[in-house]
Formats: sequence, structure tokens, C-alpha cells
Amino acid sequence: MLQVYLPVAEISVNLLVMLGLGAAIGFLSGMFGVGGGFLLTPLLIFSGIPPAIAVATGANQIVATSVSGALAQWRRGNIDFRMGLVLSIGGVAGAFAGVLLVGLLNRLGHADVFISLVYVIFLGVIGSLMLVESLRAVWRTHAGKPAMTRTPGEHIWIHGLPFKMRFQRSRLYISALPPLIIGVIVGLLASVLGAGGGFIIVPAMIYLLRMPTHIVIGTSLFQIIFVTAATTVLYATMERSLDVVLAILLMIGGVIGGQFGANAGQKLKGEQLRLLLASIVLAVAVRLLIGLLVPPSDLYSLAPVVMGP
Amino acid sequence: MMRQALAFLFATLVLSLGLCAAEERQRPEQVQSDISMREISIQSNFTGVEIVLFGSIDFTKAPSPDEAPYDVIMVVRGPQRPLVVRRKERIAGLWMNGESKTFSEVPDFYAVLASRPFRAIASEETLKPLGIGFTNLDFGKTSDADDADDGFRASLIRLQQKRRLFQESDDAIGFIGRSLFRGSVDLPVNVPIGRYTTQVYLFRDGKLLSQSQSSLQVHKVGFERLVYMLAYRHPLTYGLLAVLLAMSAGLLAWTYFRRE
Repeated sequence: MLQVYLPVAEISVNLLVMLGLGAAIGFLSGMFGVGGGFLLTPLLIFSGIPPAIAVATGANQIVATSVSGALAQWRRGNIDFRMGLVLSIGGVAGAFAGVLLVGLLNRLGHADVFISLVYVIFLGVIGSLMLVESLRAVWRTHAGKPAMTRTPGEHIWIHGLPFKMRFQRSRLYISALPPLIIGVIVGLLASVLGAGGGFIIVPAMIYLLRMPTHIVIGTSLFQIIFVTAATTVLYATMERSLDVVLAILLMIGGVIGGQFGANAGQKLKGEQLRLLLASIVLAVAVRLLIGLLVPPSDLYSLAPVVMGP
Repeated sequence: MMRQALAFLFATLVLSLGLCAAEERQRPEQVQSDISMREISIQSNFTGVEIVLFGSIDFTKAPSPDEAPYDVIMVVRGPQRPLVVRRKERIAGLWMNGESKTFSEVPDFYAVLASRPFRAIASEETLKPLGIGFTNLDFGKTSDADDADDGFRASLIRLQQKRRLFQESDDAIGFIGRSLFRGSVDLPVNVPIGRYTTQVYLFRDGKLLSQSQSSLQVHKVGFERLVYMLAYRHPLTYGLLAVLLAMSAGLLAWTYFRRE
């Protein structure tokens, strides 16, 4: 029983449970090559951390994983810095709005339900899409057909917008508005969910901006650093809901778990990995949904009165 | 003349001495008290602490040690702050917080200790103004005008009891001889920081004879204090340091584990 007192959350947690949680998320993110924040925040909430603390601390932990991920991608020359900066400008603005929204809902006592609900919707939709896609891929390989290849994009409406910028690494000459708007939406969601938002920005970059796939991962990681760093600072200053002791525990666990996860991931096929991840994502969504639908054991709850920022 | 004056002086002296002695016998009981710890430091290995309150009764009139006509009640109070109590309701199929009630002055910690069931020690009219007992606590102004008993107040007390921040104990005070007594109270791991006051009340036959007050300070020390101070007094520095820490952790992980 190694209890650790969290000075900002003002609760005691078990040291091994929190290290284990960080390691499990690190393992999954190493295995699947995802940030893991979208699983970390729900798991923190399940283990009794108040949601406002969970999102702020989750964002802080993702700064660490995205820095090491982005460094590895930068060495391979896979970051479009110009695109990353445009996305980040939008992202930081979105994060600001997201933190304001969570703060407002927290004072009204609705932050818990709101965060859970947004998670149920996002994890539900993404998990279902991944499940269908990976099942099809598994079925296709069983039938002996080759994996589907995507046709390169033609000119679409996005190319008609003003404020054109040249993004050299992405080999794109497009308006700065779509990446800016995508940045805002991702920043808003990432700050509400306490996640990096890679699961939204990666498809957006591939399908909407038509960026080359090998540039997408590095650039998204680069952008996630700025969005999660801004989210961390904003929660710390506006909501006082960042617990650095919890973040340190999660980071230590995450680094260790990540190394094992990367090795485990290499032993599984791509579509098997996606099937597994889809099942985990859906399981978390269902668990959150049950929490919203089942009558709580205690109808009453206490909270200190939080003054405005 | 001289002898008369001396005799008068002597008589006055004897008389006043005698009066003094009589007054001494008549003087009302006084209670004195203190706490085993005046300062409690919370650091990362803090798992709660037991504090001992002790005291004595001066000018005791107890005829024998077996027969203790005195009753003692102790009240430990933490700092006050506003608290909001929320009740979940089913809205559109989802359980979310509905009605709420804010209480402006709720003690962060409140414990009553007594030498026997305190409602048997004195009447409700005596206990109420002293704020002895959960039901006699004044939580200050509430957010809505009507003070109807709608379950919020009772739930606040129940939830605080569950967190061991509200305690009532009927047999926590014991007498040692006829004038010494001691009581102990557990401060749990989640004990809030701030200045605490302890009030010791001496009763006999349902009447308050004397009271005594002392205080103790609960504060964080070391790393806990540093984090707490940074988070609440210098939140920008705290946030930036947290980001810097995460970035160095990421850099460290990358340099240590990179496979090239």
C-alpha cells in the first residue's frame, strides 16, 4: 500500500496503480503508434480522479510522449514545420476556448457529464469505424485480395480558398484557412478531452488537406506538442486543476510501458492491431456510457465553490 | 489609643484572611486545556495523525475520584469555506447534476468528543448556541431563501462524515483521577490545511461552568508545500514548469531509448 498524496487533487492515490496506468497507456501507445490520451483520461476518471484534474494532467503527460515521438519523426525529416505552425496557431486558439468551456461547466457542476458524453460520442464513432474497417481488412486478406489502395486527390473546393501558402514538405500550395480551422476544432476537442487529438487530426490531414501520409504523423505530433502544452498552462492558470505529481507518475509509467509496447506491436499485423485497438476504444466508450445511464450509488455530491478565473 | 488601633488592624487582617479562604473554597471550577501537537505537517508520507487534547479542572469539588460529577465536551473545528451540495437527476436518460444548494460557511473539519453521550450532558438549548453536534452547526447563508429541510444539509453532513471530516464521538474523553481528563481525535489523510481551534467545555448538572480554547495549525511542508504554493500562488510558473518537465522527460526518453 504505497499511498501518494496528490497536492492539487487533494486525494491519496496508490502509487503502483498510477504507475501501472501510465505503463498500460504507454504500452498501448507504443504498440499502436497513437498518443493514448483519449484512453488515459477515461481511465483516470474511472480510478476516481476528478474529471477537471484528469483532462489537465492528461494533457501534461501527452506533452512528454509527443516530444519524444516528434523528435524521432524529425530525425527522419517527416515534419512539415510550416504546416505544423499554422495548425498550432489554430490549435492554441481552440484550446483556449475549450478550457474556458470546461471551466464554465465545472462551476455549474456539469463538467463530468459533458466530458464523458463527448468521449462516448467520439470513442463510439471512431471505434465503430475502426472496427468495420479492420474487420473488412482481415476478411479481405483471408479472401486473398490485395489491400485497398487510395487514389490520389484531385482538385476540390478547398483549393479555391484565399490566403494561399506554400507548404514545401507537404508539396501543397493551398489556402491557410483549412489548416487553421482544422487546428481550432482539434484544439477545442483536445483540451476538452485532455488528449492530443491525433485521432482526429491525422484523418483530417490525409483526407481533407491531402498531405502525404509519411509527413502526417510527424507534423501531427509536432502540432500536438503546442496544443497540449498550451492546454496544460491554461488549465493551470485558469482552473488550478493541474496536478504535477500525478503527471510525473504517469510519465514514468508511460516511458517504461512505451518501450514494451513498441516491441509487442511489431509482432502483430496492421489489421490485427487495428481490430484490437478498436475493441479497446469501444469497451471504454461502453463503460463511460454505462456510467451515464446507471443510477449513481449516491445521488448527492460535494464540491468546493470555485470562484471565477 | 495605639493598642486599640493595632487590635483593629489585626482584626481586619484576620477577617480578610478568613474571607479569602472562604472565597477560595467558593471559587467556581476552571478548566484548562492544551493539545498534544500545536503544528501538524503534511508531507507525501502523511497518512493521518491522532491528536490528544488534555486538560484539568481547577478548584474541583468532586468528593471522590469514583464520583465524577463533571462532564467534558471538546469541539475541534477547521477553517471554514463555502461548499456546494449537488443532487443528481435523470435528464434525457442521463444522470447529471440537477438541483444544488450552496452553504457559505462549512467547517472543513469538525469533531465533537464527549465524556458521555453529549445530548445527555446538557439540553439542546444549551448546546445549540455553542454549536455542539452536527444538527446544531450553523453553515451560514444558503443559496436559496427557504431553509426547508430538503435533504441537502443532511447529505452534506453524511458526505463529510464519510470522508471522516465530520466526527461525533460519545466516549472519546476519559477522566484520570478527579480533575484530569484526555480525549483523542483522528485527523484523516485528507485533512484540510489551515488554522484549527479546539474548544473545551466543562459541564455539571447540565450547566456550562467553564470553557477553554486553544488552536493548532495544519500545514504542508517540503515538496508538498512547494507544489501547493506554486499551483495556487504562481499558477503560470507552475504550468510552464510542468510543460518544461514533460518536455525534458520526452527528450530524455527519446535519447535513452532511440533505436538508431
